[in-house]
Amino acid sequence: MSSREKVAQAFCAANGHRFICPVGAGAFKETFHIILATGEAQALKVYEPGFSPERTARELGAMQRCSHPNIGRLSAIASFYYDGVQYLLSVEEFLSGGTLTARLRHGLLTLAETQSIGIQLVSAVAHIASHDLVHRDIKPDNILFRKDGTTPVIVDFGLVRDLVGISLTQTWLMRGPGTPLFAPAEQLRNEKTMIDWRSDQFSLGVVIALSVFGFHPYQEDGDSPTQTVERVADRGAQTARFVAAATGAGLPFLIRMAAPWPVERFRTPEELERAWQEGR
Amino acid sequence: MSAYHQMGHDSENLLWTEQLAQYRGAILSPVNYDQGKVAAQIEWARARNGFETIFDPQLYVPNSERGCLREWNYFPNDVDTADLTSDAWWDGILNSLIDVCAAVRPDAVCSPAVLPSAYPDEYFARIVSVGDQVCIRLSGTGLKPIQTAVVGMPELSVAGRPMAIASILSRSRANRIYLVLVSQIEPRRELSDVEEIKGAMRLISALRDAGLHVIVGFTSSDVALWKAAGASDCATGKFFNLRRFTRTRFEEPRGQGGGQLPYWFEESLMAFLRQSDLQRVLPMNLPRVGTSTNPFGGQILEQLANEPEKAWLALAWRQFLFWFADIESRLESEAVTPSQLLRNADNNWRTLEDVDFIMEERRNDGGWIRPWRRSIAEFRTA
Repeated sequence: MSSREKVAQAFCAANGHRFICPVGAGAFKETFHIILATGEAQALKVYEPGFSPERTARELGAMQRCSHPNIGRLSAIASFYYDGVQYLLSVEEFLSGGTLTARLRHGLLTLAETQSIGIQLVSAVAHIASHDLVHRDIKPDNILFRKDGTTPVIVDFGLVRDLVGISLTQTWLMRGPGTPLFAPAEQLRNEKTMIDWRSDQFSLGVVIALSVFGFHPYQEDGDSPTQTVERVADRGAQTARFVAAATGAGLPFLIRMAAPWPVERFRTPEELERAWQEGR
Repeated sequence: MSAYHQMGHDSENLLWTEQLAQYRGAILSPVNYDQGKVAAQIEWARARNGFETIFDPQLYVPNSERGCLREWNYFPNDVDTADLTSDAWWDGILNSLIDVCAAVRPDAVCSPAVLPSAYPDEYFARIVSVGDQVCIRLSGTGLKPIQTAVVGMPELSVAGRPMAIASILSRSRANRIYLVLVSQIEPRRELSDVEEIKGAMRLISALRDAGLHVIVGFTSSDVALWKAAGASDCATGKFFNLRRFTRTRFEEPRGQGGGQLPYWFEESLMAFLRQSDLQRVLPMNLPRVGTSTNPFGGQILEQLANEPEKAWLALAWRQFLFWFADIESRLESEAVTPSQLLRNADNNWRTLEDVDFIMEERRNDGGWIRPWRRSIAEFRTA
């Protein structure tokens, strides 16, 4: 049992909640399924003590600012002492439908599913953008489904960038934060001033392309993930098979979403939403 | 779609010139006119349906001595000590600027932008941030915001820079960009660096493709290049220093606006001609692309015939300004293409060379035409 699980169990015991099980762990936080005293299922996150308080505050602040059916809801933030150490905890809605990653293990999304899920996620990205926030880590692991299995929800704002606030990423880093396979060139190259909501648009375009076609827009047949990431970082061209697949499937807007430069993508969230609705 | 007057010293009479009615609007200058005069220009424009007035606050080099600029309420009195990267400093400037604009009521307002010593991404992020503040402050006033973008031409010759700069500029909340290309080439000379020109064309094209409306300020015969790249509108003025934006403009004695020699603009060569050259070139009847009658050209020739000693500078300004609006319109309607114009000019320069025709000005040799043709060709195939 990890130390953070012990903290979660102690927190539940102290507050009359029921500890169910661990559901995921990262380097700096761990998530647990709990049932509140009211009977409501929730996700309890326990943060590593001392881990970048600014980044944690930004994550939680971003979640508090967002209110959208396709974005994870933050219920409460708590501070809890265990073994003389102060821990930060957050209580968020529990999403029982599993991750998009798990869903894709059973096969690619159909076109109808892609349309339905895609338009909801586009709406969520637009909402995040309306708060001058950039999620920076949109990927299948961070897209969960509600119990109905059809409502996707974006979670984990751990890498969120607040465009109005001061950047927490050092300019000397070769690579900015984010999961490389889903990150746009500006994130991979740590071109901080070029990062805005269009960076999330790129990641979402890649997620959807992988979900419906089974390959990344920049991945030639036989390419390793590393080669694909290098092609994105070099601002190379999208592959011909991706362009043909997107066009043939009636999803041409994916080509623009995953374009190398931000200026080549949809300029405003409204334009992106319109393109999805009109199939352009 | 339209030509705009770039207002400069003593330019008001050009606004009221009937034969220049093709101009869609004017970019007003607080450097050359005080608030009362600018308000009067706006009032005049309002009476002419569809004539747009755009106010450029001209804070490019705020600590230079710039004519009437210091008399305007928004002009900062602490420019020598201010931190130009400070949000608080800009807040004060913007509040005053919006108050002034609310009083004089131009149709649109350009965001203020400072001319930098270098062009890193952070500079463009800063001018977009200032532009966004202008958008927020103008919301609900009925005045339209325009994002000013000051971009150094040499910067645009660096691979990837046009797209990087366009990526940052296109984040602006404004739907229109007022592009000020800063060149190291003196105003009388034509641009000729292919990489710089292609870079500027890529920038314009990327912004246009992103759905932005691009007005290129301070242009001349290079209007053909910017229209080829997809510029929505271009602006020019009567003086050469209103047709090219250079850093040295802030070092010149103000008022006279550069050279005062009269030049005829000859479309068949895409060149400015001095009087002696004009009188030798015209009889050659060099081929032209399409036909268009410039009323001021006729007046110049008549005056040269009847009163050869009389100055024709004022007519020369009008002859160029008429051509500019006319070619802008012909290019927009595709009655003529930039490539046709330049190919024809290239052929005509070859004709002159074949007969050993020497222009009065040493560098007026058409040497920029092939770089322009190459720029357009390579821009299109990129």
